[in-house]
Amino acid sequence: MRRADGIRVLVFLAASAGVLLLPRLISDFRAQQLAYVGIYFIALLGLNLLTGITGQISLGHGAFMLIGGYTTAILISHQEPPLELLGHQFTGDMRDIWTIPLAGLVAGFAGFLFGFPALRLSGLYLALATFAVAVAAPALVRKYQGFTGGGGGINLFDVEGRTGGSTTDPITFETTSGVDILGFHISSFNVWLYYLCWTLALVLFAAAWLMLRGRLGRSLRAIRDSELAAVSSGVNLARYKTLAFGISAFYAGVAGSLLALATTFVNPDTFPIALSIFLLVGVVVGGLGSLWPLVFGAIFIHFMQIEWAQKADLVIPDWIPFLGDIDTDAPGAPAVAFGVVLILIMLALPSGAAGLLRTLKSLITRGYHRVR
Amino acid sequence: MADFFQQVVAGLGSGAIYASLALALVLIHRATGVINFAQGEMAMFTTYVAWTLTANHGWSYWPAFVATLVFAFVLGVGIQRVVINPVANASILTIVIVTIGLVLTFNGLAGLIWSSEVRAFPSPFPNETWSIGGVAISQQDVGTFGVVLVLVLLLWAFFQFTKIGLALRASALNPGASRLVGVRVGWMLAIGWGLAAMLGAVAGMMAAPTIFLDPNMMQAILIYAFASAILGGIDSPFGAVVGGLTLGVGLNLIGAYVDFVGADLRLPVALLVILVVLLVRPAGLFGKPVTRRV
Amino acid sequence: MRRSSLVLSLLSLALAGAIATGATAASSADPGITGKTILLGGTSPLSGPASAYASVARGANAYFKYVNARGGVHGRAINYKVVDDAYNPSQTVQATKQLVEQDKVFAIFNSLGTEHNVATRSYLNQMRVPQLFVASGATTFGADYKRYPWTIGFQPSYRAEGWIYGKYLARTKPGARVAVLFQNDDYGKDLMAGLKQGMARSKVKVIAAQPFEVTAPDVRSQISTLKTSGANVLALFATPRHAIQGYVFAERLNWRPLIINNAVSSASNIMTLASEGGTNKAVQNSISIVFLKDPTDVKWRNDPAIKLYRTIMSRHAKGANPKDVYHVYGMAVAYETVKVLKAAGKNPTRAAVMAQTRKLNDVSNPFMLPGIAIKTSATERFPIEQALLQRWSKGSWTSFGGLWGFRAG
Repeated sequence: MRRADGIRVLVFLAASAGVLLLPRLISDFRAQQLAYVGIYFIALLGLNLLTGITGQISLGHGAFMLIGGYTTAILISHQEPPLELLGHQFTGDMRDIWTIPLAGLVAGFAGFLFGFPALRLSGLYLALATFAVAVAAPALVRKYQGFTGGGGGINLFDVEGRTGGSTTDPITFETTSGVDILGFHISSFNVWLYYLCWTLALVLFAAAWLMLRGRLGRSLRAIRDSELAAVSSGVNLARYKTLAFGISAFYAGVAGSLLALATTFVNPDTFPIALSIFLLVGVVVGGLGSLWPLVFGAIFIHFMQIEWAQKADLVIPDWIPFLGDIDTDAPGAPAVAFGVVLILIMLALPSGAAGLLRTLKSLITRGYHRVR
Repeated sequence: MADFFQQVVAGLGSGAIYASLALALVLIHRATGVINFAQGEMAMFTTYVAWTLTANHGWSYWPAFVATLVFAFVLGVGIQRVVINPVANASILTIVIVTIGLVLTFNGLAGLIWSSEVRAFPSPFPNETWSIGGVAISQQDVGTFGVVLVLVLLLWAFFQFTKIGLALRASALNPGASRLVGVRVGWMLAIGWGLAAMLGAVAGMMAAPTIFLDPNMMQAILIYAFASAILGGIDSPFGAVVGGLTLGVGLNLIGAYVDFVGADLRLPVALLVILVVLLVRPAGLFGKPVTRRV
Repeated sequence: MRRSSLVLSLLSLALAGAIATGATAASSADPGITGKTILLGGTSPLSGPASAYASVARGANAYFKYVNARGGVHGRAINYKVVDDAYNPSQTVQATKQLVEQDKVFAIFNSLGTEHNVATRSYLNQMRVPQLFVASGATTFGADYKRYPWTIGFQPSYRAEGWIYGKYLARTKPGARVAVLFQNDDYGKDLMAGLKQGMARSKVKVIAAQPFEVTAPDVRSQISTLKTSGANVLALFATPRHAIQGYVFAERLNWRPLIINNAVSSASNIMTLASEGGTNKAVQNSISIVFLKDPTDVKWRNDPAIKLYRTIMSRHAKGANPKDVYHVYGMAVAYETVKVLKAAGKNPTRAAVMAQTRKLNDVSNPFMLPGIAIKTSATERFPIEQALLQRWSKGSWTSFGGLWGFRAG
């Protein structure tokens, strides 16, 4: 192991410890919000592997999240009538957390298969192909409602034995909530969600880092820089591209599964086309090809949607005619706030948070050398 | 058989609208190498400007039409100069994200300024139908169709016969060399954006009398236009028109005659068909395959 | 600061947090109520594909501001926090948890959308937070009150609306052949199910039905297919833009069936758009139900409630379009909420408010049509179960026949 890697491992361990201790310092509700950041972080790690590292634009990663989310939902739900595919009824006897890796695998397999037609396409044509997947997936879910619950969706809140859900004893009427896991007792669902999402996020982050520092990373980057050059230096294009699609979709599937567990509800509208586009936004805001700065992308897309865009009055100055004195509950106000902030960020940081960090780093090291 | 032709006619009517927005996408891509995801929202926004002029300020149709085209041109040039040019050297995805920011901004602004209520938009063509052998043909659709044909001819002539057109093509293909021979590349790109915004405005004003005006009206059309442009080959105006019409007719026939598909799966199935076409011809129907250099 | 004291202060900080979260559960007064304010929260699609519905929340908020300016409810001002969910149920859940756990609202009020309210219903019932006057016509919000006692709907259900059309056709147009254009979601499907239920055991039949996706640019192809079926009645179960298109394309195909238009899309201003400046003949004699006063209808021009509505809009909803009937819906539901809060006593609790919603009996809601009662009981949780039928002729609606009552479910 190189010395730089040793330092990286130490930093990672320190950061992990920080992440795991954080719930003690923040409110229960913040923990829940940060859990969603963790979910987006996982999805961004996956998309970045494909788009940032391998150079294949995907406008359809929301669809892979959908596959993951529905895998989990179908495996644990108690729908009436039961969901059915090819004569097999899904009665939901599976523990929810065990469906997470399965969701990843199902989505990953779908991604891997999609990688084959994608081999022949590049650039905009690939963008359209992936976009088509994002458009088609919700429509298929609506169409095959016997298997998916259709537009009405699947409610997971009342699923018996849901981890972190509260149960009422039928005799004593005592309500117990919280999660006991590995000898720890976690009393709140939100904190449980936080630990679940961030443990997986850290593991998947480490996995991505390990994958990318070796042969796989080199090959994928070579494909991004020039496919022809990559092929001439012995990279098997078909193998690595389909692999990139598969791994990337695996990450998205895990994120989708977690989203379903966190939201306790799935329907086609929970995985809209906008989700695929916001994921791409997250990757670019974090920094194409970067790893841990993607956290900033995740923070951006989560908080922008749920909180910051609601504060349109802060974004639109009062002196602008017509718009200056708008109400924040006016239709359109959140979209304007989101759009304006997004454009400003791109103008200020065209290479995203990672670019800013690189600039800062070079400033610091240069300053350091000058002082010496 | 009359039903069949009725579906074809309906498809051509819808397809002409997809084609006109697809032309705008093709123009920007040809001139600047970027897909502008905000093309639809810009078209919607400029259509609202035309609506305000006619409905609130008492302008008659054609002056409002021309004023809107001027406004659209200025808007396009302005956007390119203010928000696109500064990131021109960043990765192509950064530019794409800026256009997504524009989508959100214009959509929100239209809702704020004009509310999300549906509005009627005047048409320059009479609201009457010809009936030929049991097939009803709307004069508005025929008019829209004519406008699209004129546009594609104008666009082709512009690129082929004018100096600006040549300079535009040159700036997109090889900015460095163009600069050397004295082309002001930055402004050429801005003009490309301006012209595309004008095309978009025409698309919006042709679509609005039929599908009615609201802030979300162009979102679905943009998807169809994107698919049309890709199907035709992203750099070919002629291909965009053929792509748009094929898509319009194809969607209707699939929806009406393939029971399994119905109306709810027509878009996914149409996209699937386009994918298959692309697998056979990766650069679209009329696109030239690009030779890759190391 | 010495290290040990740093550790101590961190510990005490964590402890204080723990006590603070425990304390809210223990206190007797419900969250969201102070001496001067009552905090309500709700989600609404301020952005995204359904942003047209955002007007409902805006109308309601304008009415609350008007009430606040006149002293509020027992001296308390109603603060209504609206959060955008972009019509995505996943965001509805997050926003609702934010309202309950962070903003500590007293109740969730009139959140919009069927799936969106289904997604939050179990959570709100577990937390015992009122889910007041859900903005959806799905039957489940009234029918499943035993399982979800903290939830109550408001408007007539879509199924009931469809049932009225079916019953009307069965009575007045025996032998009618009906073609249906419906939005491919629960709203469109519920209307259609109700329609079929209403015409059951009669000679009226649905002979063709065409769905469309809410994201579809136009419904040209569907109308063309429906015309081919040879139907003489066309039901438009679509939101405004697609319903207008239904009229427009029917006219372009020279098709003149009797058109039934659902209440979501039948405001006078929308009908005026569909009549294309009087050139569209397909609009004539359309049928629809109505339960709210339509601000664009000439017969309410001098109605005191609609005059009040216009004043409130101009004062408390800057830039909003007063012709939009969704604002009236918002005011009607806000009016009822104010009434319920007043009746729940000087120091209302969540339970007291829900108790009031189980014994509504109001025939004087000024934003509703005269005679329509808002009524519930311990076993009957559909507040509005009456409507009038109306017919469009010469540029305005005229109601006919008596009140149609129905038992929802």
